[in-house]
Amino acid sequence: MESLSLLAEGFGHAFTPMNLLFVLVGCLLGTAVGVMPGLGSSMAVALLLPMTFALDPSAAFIMFAGVYFGGLFGDSTMAILLNTPGQSSAIASTFEGHKMARSGRAPQALATAAIGAFIGGMVSCMVVVFLAPALAEFSTAFGPAEYFALALFAFIATSSVVSGSALKGLTALLIGLGLSTIGIDSVTGTERASFGVPQLFDGVSLVTVTVAILALGEVFHIASRVRRDPTSRLLRPKGRPFLSKAEFREAMPAWLRGTAIGLPFGVIPVGGADVPTFMAYGAEKTLDKRRKTPKFGTGAIRGLAAPEAAGNATTGTAMGALLALGLPVSATAAIMLAAFRQYGMQPGPLLFERSPELVWGLLASFFLAMIVLLILNLPFAQVWSKLLLIPRPYLYGGIAVMCGLGVFATSSSAFELFLLLGAGLLGFVMRRYDVPLAPLLIGMVLGPLAETSLRDALISSGGEPGVFFEGPISLTIYGLLVAAIALVVVGRVRSARRSPAPVAEAPAPQADVHA
Amino acid sequence: MTALRAHDDAPAQPTEAAPAAGWFAGRSGLVVPLILAAFSTYLLVGVLTMEVPEGTDWPGPDFFPLLVAIAGYIVSALLVVKYIRQPEPAVPNVYSELDDVSAAERAEAEAAAKVRYRFFSDWRCLAWAIGGFAAFALILMPAGWIVAAALLFWCVARAMDSRRPLWDVVVALTVSSVAYLAFDVLLGMNLPSGILGGL
Repeated sequence: MESLSLLAEGFGHAFTPMNLLFVLVGCLLGTAVGVMPGLGSSMAVALLLPMTFALDPSAAFIMFAGVYFGGLFGDSTMAILLNTPGQSSAIASTFEGHKMARSGRAPQALATAAIGAFIGGMVSCMVVVFLAPALAEFSTAFGPAEYFALALFAFIATSSVVSGSALKGLTALLIGLGLSTIGIDSVTGTERASFGVPQLFDGVSLVTVTVAILALGEVFHIASRVRRDPTSRLLRPKGRPFLSKAEFREAMPAWLRGTAIGLPFGVIPVGGADVPTFMAYGAEKTLDKRRKTPKFGTGAIRGLAAPEAAGNATTGTAMGALLALGLPVSATAAIMLAAFRQYGMQPGPLLFERSPELVWGLLASFFLAMIVLLILNLPFAQVWSKLLLIPRPYLYGGIAVMCGLGVFATSSSAFELFLLLGAGLLGFVMRRYDVPLAPLLIGMVLGPLAETSLRDALISSGGEPGVFFEGPISLTIYGLLVAAIALVVVGRVRSARRSPAPVAEAPAPQADVHA
Repeated sequence: MTALRAHDDAPAQPTEAAPAAGWFAGRSGLVVPLILAAFSTYLLVGVLTMEVPEGTDWPGPDFFPLLVAIAGYIVSALLVVKYIRQPEPAVPNVYSELDDVSAAERAEAEAAAKVRYRFFSDWRCLAWAIGGFAAFALILMPAGWIVAAALLFWCVARAMDSRRPLWDVVVALTVSSVAYLAFDVLLGMNLPSGILGGL
């Protein structure tokens, strides 16, 4: 029970009044950004990332935990009330959740989502507490070849398996990978593709690209549609949260099943929480068909409870994978990894030895964030929707100013602002032509890992490519990769045959980033 | 930038149904492979001009960028073929049957979706947003945060179809000043004070 005592210590670190304040502020800010239509939790984290650099590391990460979970919560609030999921992981919640809201049960729907997110998140945080040290231990068995296999898995999964068009996913991925190679090579000290520009010697800043692609790109995208497309404007919600005992009993099994489906996905890099949310939704739908009076299609509480729990369960274990393996499985986790690096820390097995107070403090603050959110959101979901009353020009004007402020605060250079503008234009073009955004960020974050492990493995084997298929771990990972591809292909063919376009019911998600 | 002239007040008067003209209809997505190919070329030039130190073991620092550049060319070629064979016309968004909106709003969205423009994107609004940001980046150092950020806010508000330019100036200056006070004075970040610095 070493984990428990370490966690207790972590609570000790997290429980200072200042840190509690940071969790609270983080939750508030994260939810505030998350409830904006089209702005998801990864946008929340990206916008607020530069702000946290003013704090010391543990306070910054504690605030981050709040922002992240707050953002996720805001996503589903809007998915339910307005049918505008902030990210793809909230799409599955819109199907039954928005139907509940439309039939006058918006309050119950919000409560179902809040409690589902709470249960999924709590269970997965417990799992992470016990599993993360073991996972970190296990990952010491990883050599360059294994890490390369892992990175390759993440690349293929996010760019091809999860996104709609494999070619477009690969486009985003390759741009991300290419950006990650710019700057001084860490092994030989060679200057790479920076053409003598001193600001590029340290490489292209991930913070700048993230803010540009997720936030500024969205501003440009809305500007390009706002006079022509009334659906890009905001709607106003109504209702009050409350859940009866019967409804609670009805939703309970779905919450638990959703959690069980979501848990393992956090560790497998298949592109984040949207796959398990759809699986949980599908499972509930199948079970529902066997009941005497099928409720799906009319706002079934289980159809909302399961994906919400699954989404948050995945998010929790994904954080475990990030801490223990240093492997980001989603855009948001990628941004978190960038934050760690900013403080000169490298997540992975060594982090547990070098800065245990930070790791356990962060894990403890996950629990705190979850509790704060439940307290905040059950009664206040209503209040959040009032944010929509900010007139649109000022809302997006404010977001643009935040982008500029955040990037300038971290770099103090005008060059970085032009880079922000350029990458923002790229973000706009990607939105316009439905190119997924997450592979670009994942490619940029995992690019260096993939490159160094590829080179190290080849150098140590004397240029013999067989080294990649030797260890049992690499072979298992490649096996999983093949299985994942097969599973998705079969699933897609099947669902295409059964119903022409099940996903097309939802509006095109405005930010196609995987939570 | 012919787009700027082509439909100055487009929403008010649906232009004489000028459909996105010719062969490029639905194929403007070709810009995506173009960007990828250009970026691959950038990487390739970087690889070719790279000064790899003597005696570096293979694979050296040029290996991975070269790999990415080659893959970039292949993917962009495949994308070009894809866009030529099956164009992807942009589809304006309308409310689905699940959206909780009034009949009037629904009808408005459907009517708006039927209007054909020369370009799918509204380049006039987009130019305000992009130009606003470029101006912000240019004048931030000389003019200072409060002026530059207010300008950015105002331009983006304008891009979002705000109809009250004078009132916007007041809001913009308030937002940029509050941000300056909160982040520079309270949190100790270093924002340029610029021309207002001496006051």
